[in-house]
Amino acid sequence: MKAVKGKYYFGGIHPHDMKNIAKDAALEVLPEPEILAISTSQSLGRPAVPVVEAGREVKQGELIARADGPISSDVFASVSGTVIEIKDETGANGTDEKYIFIKPDGKNETSYLPPLTDTSADEIKARIKDAGIVGLGGAGFPTAVKVSPKTKVDTLVINGAECEPYLTCDHRLMLERADEIARGARYLAKALGVEKIIIGIEANKPDCIKEFEKFDDILPVILKKQYPMGGEKQLIYVTTGRKVGIGKLPADSGVVVQNVATCFAVCEAVELGKPLIERVLTVSGKAVKQPKNLWVKVGTPVQAIIDYCGGEISTPKKVIQGGPMTGTALANYDTYTHKTTSGVLLLTEKEAAADEPTPCLNCGKCADVCPMHLMPMDTAFYAAAGDFDAAAKYGQTAACIECGACEFICPAKRPLIQAIRKTKAALRNKKQER
Amino acid sequence: MDNSVVISTPPHVKSKRTTRGIMIDVAIALLPSVIAGCVFFGWQALLIILMSVFACVATEFVYFFIANKGFSSKCANAKSVCVRWLKQFDFTSVVTGLILALILPVTDKWYEVLYEVLIGGVFSIALVKMLFGGTGKNLVNPAAAGRVFMFLSFAITTYSAPLFGALNFEAGVFTGPTNLSWLLPSEGNPITKLPVIDLFLGTGVAGCIGETCKVAILVGFVYLAIRNVIKWWQPLLFIAVFGFTAVFLSGFDYANQGAYIYDLELFLPHVFSGGVLFGAVFMFTDYVTSPKGVFGQIVYYVIAALLVAILRYLTKIEVTSFVIILMNLFVPLIDKYVRRKPFGYKKETGKEGK
Repeated sequence: MKAVKGKYYFGGIHPHDMKNIAKDAALEVLPEPEILAISTSQSLGRPAVPVVEAGREVKQGELIARADGPISSDVFASVSGTVIEIKDETGANGTDEKYIFIKPDGKNETSYLPPLTDTSADEIKARIKDAGIVGLGGAGFPTAVKVSPKTKVDTLVINGAECEPYLTCDHRLMLERADEIARGARYLAKALGVEKIIIGIEANKPDCIKEFEKFDDILPVILKKQYPMGGEKQLIYVTTGRKVGIGKLPADSGVVVQNVATCFAVCEAVELGKPLIERVLTVSGKAVKQPKNLWVKVGTPVQAIIDYCGGEISTPKKVIQGGPMTGTALANYDTYTHKTTSGVLLLTEKEAAADEPTPCLNCGKCADVCPMHLMPMDTAFYAAAGDFDAAAKYGQTAACIECGACEFICPAKRPLIQAIRKTKAALRNKKQER
Repeated sequence: MDNSVVISTPPHVKSKRTTRGIMIDVAIALLPSVIAGCVFFGWQALLIILMSVFACVATEFVYFFIANKGFSSKCANAKSVCVRWLKQFDFTSVVTGLILALILPVTDKWYEVLYEVLIGGVFSIALVKMLFGGTGKNLVNPAAAGRVFMFLSFAITTYSAPLFGALNFEAGVFTGPTNLSWLLPSEGNPITKLPVIDLFLGTGVAGCIGETCKVAILVGFVYLAIRNVIKWWQPLLFIAVFGFTAVFLSGFDYANQGAYIYDLELFLPHVFSGGVLFGAVFMFTDYVTSPKGVFGQIVYYVIAALLVAILRYLTKIEVTSFVIILMNLFVPLIDKYVRRKPFGYKKETGKEGK
């Protein structure tokens, strides 16, 4: 369908998107690394429970850890090989995670699920659950839960905004695999029982918009280049004009949002029976020799990815797993990719800001750019004083989506997101104590 | 990779804008007014400006030096305190010094103003800004407070005429306490319509160093708006509300002489008289002492403009600095009650989405 223009929302920032670095690098497949470590914490919710033990031979696509609870997801062996050990290691975000170490044997034996022939809604839903698919945009919410909403849904919105600077993996995927994404979107729509499929793509990817205009049942919406355009609530507003209430799910407004990479994974799970064992990620930043967009198996060591991209050309100031606005800073390359890892960025000192904070000026720029119309400076003020109740009350922290726009714009370089996370953690602890 | 990588919470990229950069931008925006002041009022004006900036920066330095125990022990400590001061120096005191000088007049006894501005600068920085916690923590605008302090302490009420006569006015120069007395007539005197062109250029208008030349102020406004330091609509909203209210009130002067007239020809003379334009562009827009949210800002500018118009009409003196201080004190209240609702917020009606 002919692309239409999306709405505008107040707030947001316009960072330099830096996508030129890796935009033109076609997708490549990363060779199997020497060892993989697959975390059992691949989604929100509780970690999966390992069902293999050390010494066991596994095939590619074999279940190695079973979901524990409704918002947990199954974990699969992403290569064929031998399980070496299962042990706890500190992940990038500082919490201990259980890792299953697999040494590939190079045989590439696969053990996929049978391809679906009869694609009824229930079967697709079951397949999405069995394939361990989670939202690949970053949060890692199990897709199976999202496609079983409790309220009536009439629209499926595909998130192709990719508003984070540097990241180009969704861009490449949309460009090279538009057909699969469209088919995956149709399966999702069928599972949800909706007719209307909208795909939101930022205006800086005109080639992708053209790519999706050729489908008759998918409406491409051109989004303004504005961060955070890919935030769920913002995306729903600009594409459908609906507002999602505070503390409500998109499904409450009749919308379900899925990332383009998730759609692709659904397509593969339905047509090939392939569980979620690999994804596209972007290796970018000015400190990396050859920026690339790679197909990477879940559990690949970051070191192997960097080595494949030619290593560093200058010492990075920050190494980031994910996007620069919401990703996690790594202390070293000794970590492993997850299902939700959308990028590995090596930023030089010039790119990565590490300025000392100066006193808050009360300029209100953080409130101006907040896509949720909150008061981040109030949260920071009260959180610094240790009064987290006031911080949550005056800063409306509960509605914060932690997009990082406030801290980006702050002329005083205040650590606002840190204050917001501290406030949220304090409130969570307080709730648990009760 | 060595151990030089930095770990922090996201976001990992930030804008290049810093507090120092913003303050330098404000100082640059004030430069046209500084130059115009020197051209219109001569070297005495330059001396006052330099003295004011010196007083403010020196006070900030001395305060920092004492507060960081620069006197306490050895020489090395004093040196390190100086280095730290330079590192945190963010040009706010320079801006305060510039603004304080620009809202002062050059009187015939300009040498008296020199030591008065020294005291005013010390008052502004030490008492109004640093004692409350320094940059970002002051309750009222330091420059406005310093100006009011000097107004009350030294009774600076005479304004000397500029070096250039009026282009378009028979008397050649508007003297008197301020040019407001022409616009806001007392009992019996008719309203004098001042030529807008003279008010706009500042030729022949007695007044403060930086306030007379409106062209320079507007150049500064355009620069600040383009550099996104202030929101372009803030001064415009202020000026619009102020102008229409002032015209409305002036109508009662006509009423005294006959019938009530809503005379829009008085709009520009009102706006271009006294310190309203300068205050609207450089002083009300001060980040620290204005509300943080958009709606709070609208409330703030509307009330401020109404107050300036009404008090000016009633007192017939320049009240902008007083109103700035008064409104600054209302900011915490505005911030508390005038808040933007979060995106998607709905009153608990049970219905969600539309």
